[in-house]
Amino acid sequence: MYFIPVLPLSRRWRGRWHRVSLLLASFLLLVCQPIHAHGYIVRSIPEDRAVLERSPVRVQYWFSEDLEPEFSSITVRDQAGNVVATGGVSLDELSLMEARLPTNLPEGAYINELRVAFASDGHVIVESRVFFVGEAVGGVAGLAASDQAVALEVIWRAVVLASLTLLLGVFALYNLVLLPAWGSDTFAAGHLPPRVMNRLNWIVIAALITAFGGNLLALLQQTMVFFGADAGRVLSEGLWQVVRIGTRFGDTWNIRMLLLALVAALHGASLYLRQNQPETVRAFWAANAWVMALCVGTLSVASHAAGSLLMPWVAVLSDWLHVLAVGFWTGGVAALALVLPVALRPYSGETRRLALVAALNRFSLIAAAGVGVVVATGIYSASNWVQSPDDLGTTYGGALAVKLLLVGLLLVVGALHFAALRPKWYARVSSVMERIGGFVPSLRIEALLVLGVLGAAALLSATPVPKPDFESPPAPSATQTAGDYTVATTITPGGTGVNTYDTVVLRDGEPVDGLPVHLRMANPERDLRGDWHVAENIEDGVYVASGTEIDRTGRWLTLIDVGEGEATQRFVFEWEITAEAAVIETRAPTWFNLLALLGMIAAIGYALSPLGRRFYRMLDLSPVSVTVAVGALLVTVVVVVVGIAAAENVAQQYELTVNPPPQIVNEVPPDQESLERGERLLEAECAGWGSGTDWDELIRRLPRLRDEELYAYTQAGWRTLSPCSDALSASERWDVVNFVRAQEAR
Amino acid sequence: MFPTILAHGALGAFDEIIFLGVGVVFLVMMGISWLRSRNMKPEFDDPGIPAKVTTTEQQPDRFKLE
Repeated sequence: MYFIPVLPLSRRWRGRWHRVSLLLASFLLLVCQPIHAHGYIVRSIPEDRAVLERSPVRVQYWFSEDLEPEFSSITVRDQAGNVVATGGVSLDELSLMEARLPTNLPEGAYINELRVAFASDGHVIVESRVFFVGEAVGGVAGLAASDQAVALEVIWRAVVLASLTLLLGVFALYNLVLLPAWGSDTFAAGHLPPRVMNRLNWIVIAALITAFGGNLLALLQQTMVFFGADAGRVLSEGLWQVVRIGTRFGDTWNIRMLLLALVAALHGASLYLRQNQPETVRAFWAANAWVMALCVGTLSVASHAAGSLLMPWVAVLSDWLHVLAVGFWTGGVAALALVLPVALRPYSGETRRLALVAALNRFSLIAAAGVGVVVATGIYSASNWVQSPDDLGTTYGGALAVKLLLVGLLLVVGALHFAALRPKWYARVSSVMERIGGFVPSLRIEALLVLGVLGAAALLSATPVPKPDFESPPAPSATQTAGDYTVATTITPGGTGVNTYDTVVLRDGEPVDGLPVHLRMANPERDLRGDWHVAENIEDGVYVASGTEIDRTGRWLTLIDVGEGEATQRFVFEWEITAEAAVIETRAPTWFNLLALLGMIAAIGYALSPLGRRFYRMLDLSPVSVTVAVGALLVTVVVVVVGIAAAENVAQQYELTVNPPPQIVNEVPPDQESLERGERLLEAECAGWGSGTDWDELIRRLPRLRDEELYAYTQAGWRTLSPCSDALSASERWDVVNFVRAQEAR
Repeated sequence: MFPTILAHGALGAFDEIIFLGVGVVFLVMMGISWLRSRNMKPEFDDPGIPAKVTTTEQQPDRFKLE
């Protein structure tokens, strides 16, 4: 391990600091790891093992991220195994999977088989959920998604991660360590001896071949999982092309392959031109370091960090920085282990030590920064995903333990090397080093441990984490009977945001199709109403509509008109919409999240401090320049803060102007009885209402009028419409208002 | 509207622009880095250039590899 600098004695204090950092890093690595989790269900209707009084209209499952519609499906079976419904991903919402059910399912158990393909990383899980109609049935249970990793996926992830890490590490090592430490103008092509350049070239070529092979294996395995097919069928029928072109996994796969092809082309150019234009070799190696930094970013784009409920952009950036730091650190260690034996071959004794220390002095600074970033980003990722200490007792926890064990061994070997390089400590570890066989064999052991750690990381990333429990109330549902009809309606999920309004209309217990059914949402406390929806009649008496009217919690009404004209029957359902009912789309940061974020920023600051110092030295720090710069910064901050505050204030004022809170609230639900009372009262107590030009004008204006205005008109009159009788009580006036409102054209 | 390829973060379709922007920035840096290295004068054996990391003779940060 070389992230502890080999320091001069005069910097002993810095040596102590780095040793403390090593201990701290070791500890933190033991308690946190970055996680590439599978997605999971954040809301389900009905809940697993829910016992329902009557048959639901549909089953719906919301996931923490988008799904691949072509490869995701839901099958609902009864307890005899017969398929009663099938469904898939909602066209309007890619994180929602749903299936519509036949009405009046007989009492019994129903099993929802979910086959879910997550878009970001292509992971496919199969699980089943159960619900009961009537009473719970014993012996029927759902099947949880497997928490085991797929072996072939672990293999390709290990191969891809190791090869990309090694490529990034070798390019970074050349530019930041080997060239400054050992570079010489004597060697025109790459400024390093030919034997070293040859070894570096072979490392790059081998890693590139491995990376291409790993990516091809990834596409093969992903296609096998998506289609449930074996490798022969995937290849013979060209199914891999479907995945490559038609999925998000394929998109990121294409970009990664393109970047690898660019790296291969640039490296090929460096090999081709090394004789005739040797000065270009260094340039190609410098360029490839940037391309590889971008290439490892494709892993983060395709990770679950992108589907994080907590600040996804920060999660993606954290993941990318983590992989970059791993590349600089472990990729650098591996590359160094492969290069050192060749580079140091001509030397022995003190000369060999000086050559080695020259490289390690450079590398230790970079690796120390890398370890800091790895730890800080790991903590942030852990704070993002780990929800409970119990998670460590799962299969995922086991995979984590394997990785931690290997990381621990890696640190031990690194500590041995550190001691062996220090003359005053060598005596203490000499017997161990001699038993290993010397410095070069122990370097190989360390490189193998690096590979082991990367393999364990691949196992972790392929192992689903235990999903957090989301407790949500059931979707609001109610049934009413009036006139000839029995109407049952359900709002799913029943929180703020997009909701589906399912209505079942029965007459004499039988579903009725072909009726005009209109539906409207209203919020009396704000005197607001949505537009009328024409509910679409699917079949079996089911009428569906959807809308986004519910934009905040509180009391809401659903007005449903069944039938047309005189035969219209009004139903009113009252709901209390709670915040818990909304589908979870984002998560507010906790204090631990924010502290972890601060730690990440500090680690990045430490890693970039050499660049910062260089930039600082370039600055003009004359009093005039500093005053102008600070003044400009302050003015900018003030302008931005004032601008944000002003914009928020304007938005609030606009909302209050457009939708001021009513002075009086209509507390009378506009149900059938209220409408009938209102009609009678209007005829008897409100002279001039019900006909005439001004009445027609009033009805025409209804979409723009609030209930409180209509209430005021019943008191004071409007144009030629006289005030209603003073004898009317408040609730009777609201009956009149409700009747007038019911005349509004749909 | 163009089809979504990489966007699935908090910013919706703007993810795409930012991802592509990052890609362009890195590729531009690649080009600049190539040109800068390509035009760099010999420097390693110039005794006038001080070492960037201060070291002692026992712990050098430069060693001319033969």
